[in-house]
Amino acid sequence: MGTPTGVRRVRARSVLRAGNVVLAGAVAATAFAGAAAADGTDDYPIPHRMIITACTAEQILAAARDFTPIYYQRYIIDKHNKPPEVRQAAIDSAHYFFSLTPQDRTAYSEQTATNFADPMTLAWPNWAKIFFNNKGVAAKETDNCSNYPPDDQSVWDG
Amino acid sequence: MRFGKLIEVVSVAAAAVVLAAPSYADVDTDFANQLHGYGIYGPRDYNAWLGKITCNRLGNGIDADADKSAAFLSKNLPRGSTTPQTWQFLAAAIGTYCPEQMPVLTSAAGPR
Repeated sequence: MGTPTGVRRVRARSVLRAGNVVLAGAVAATAFAGAAAADGTDDYPIPHRMIITACTAEQILAAARDFTPIYYQRYIIDKHNKPPEVRQAAIDSAHYFFSLTPQDRTAYSEQTATNFADPMTLAWPNWAKIFFNNKGVAAKETDNCSNYPPDDQSVWDG
Repeated sequence: MRFGKLIEVVSVAAAAVVLAAPSYADVDTDFANQLHGYGIYGPRDYNAWLGKITCNRLGNGIDADADKSAAFLSKNLPRGSTTPQTWQFLAAAIGTYCPEQMPVLTSAAGPR
């Protein structure tokens, strides 16, 4: 009763407009969030510690054997259940990854996040589980890996 | 009458065996119970697997002696486990899963 109709209409319109802005913002946020989810981040899908470590795959595995023995055994059992060529491909893939520079590992991580048709992943989806899947395990591995020999292939067989 | 008594005795004995059976059927459970006596808890399957891995490492030479085994266990038992508990775990694991490794323990205990 106090406010004239014209003022009320203007206020209603500005409220609507504000609503539109919020809505547009939410839509944009969702769109950006969607894009981000498909990208690699600092810790996903490959933990940062694995990006920057100077250890070899064998050193990482030796640390896993001693510091996360059950996680390690599960991985080795899983590996033993794969055909020989898949096992060898996993070893080669791990050697390849740890031969890369941190920059190239980041790029690799980015690619891993999106490329589900990667033949290695198709043949054995968990081939890199011991290296990438668990940040706690990655932390124990990278904290201790430098105390082990870099080229002891026996760690692949448990 | 006598025959009836015999039946009764046999059936009681059978019942005892049946009732006792669950506690002896599973080695891992016995192992867990033994650990509880030392105040070591945690998931039964985790502890059993850790015990088996300890044996395996002694068998394939990754751990050359009992001190190495104890060092391995001290990294993987729950935080706050004591040194005596580590050795109790080791002795229980060897006794349960690889009694053939008992000399490793006795040589660690004896004079060097």
